[in-house]
Amino acid sequence: MPGLAPAKAAELDFASLVRRHQAMVYSIAWHILRDRAVAEELAQDVFLSLHQHLADLESPEHVQFWLRRVASNRALDVARRRQRRPMLSLESVPEPAAMSQAGDPLLGAALRKLVAALPPKPRAIVVLRYQEDLDPAEIARVLDIPVGTVKSQLQRALALLRGKLARSMGEIRI
Amino acid sequence: MNLEDELRSALRRRDPPPDFTARVLKSVAPRSARRPVRPWVGWLGALAASLLLAAGDLGYRHYQGERAKAEVLQAIHIAASKLNVAQKKVQMISHRSNS
Repeated sequence: MPGLAPAKAAELDFASLVRRHQAMVYSIAWHILRDRAVAEELAQDVFLSLHQHLADLESPEHVQFWLRRVASNRALDVARRRQRRPMLSLESVPEPAAMSQAGDPLLGAALRKLVAALPPKPRAIVVLRYQEDLDPAEIARVLDIPVGTVKSQLQRALALLRGKLARSMGEIRI
Repeated sequence: MNLEDELRSALRRRDPPPDFTARVLKSVAPRSARRPVRPWVGWLGALAASLLLAAGDLGYRHYQGERAKAEVLQAIHIAASKLNVAQKKVQMISHRSNS
């Protein structure tokens, strides 16, 4: 940014990075944790870390990858800590009462609950696959796990979700 | 219905609260705005402390001098009054022997 002091330019760059990526970071935390306050706090911490590590990141793509990785792994850590005091299991989630067209808000809410009841790692994989539209290889890099693990856990998670939905819908083609 | 499409729709990104950006920027502001301590501030503090110590020492020495002076005056006063008593006794004895 010509004409600006370097510190001010960096601050403005940081502000634009926050605006550009806040929905991604917040949504990863929110979909993995299903807790608005904790997701906000986590997202804020992720951006504070970004501010400290900004000099080490080389490109906009690197920043996006770094944010996805840090947000996903921190949300996973929180989810694992919470799992030690279980709050919700997949079996305890009520099946969606009425299923209708795609994009139905009730179906969407029910699916989010079902996803939240998955174990932490498959939950993070499903969120990165369908929120961020990442392929298994990209998910493997973000979570630092083998691609085979991503593929198998994704298949298992989808089968669980299909089963739960099929029980409530019967004729559903999924 | 396609489960994967439904998942994409259910898990689409959502915005954080409207004040989120401002809160993040506020939380990093004190770190970036923190000014380095200027060296002359330290020197000024050290100089002020030295002056205070010197002034205190001077005051204490002055107090000690005044006290010593008062003690010497009191000693002289005591010695003078004892000399007076002795002189009166000598005068009385010499007066008796003359008479």
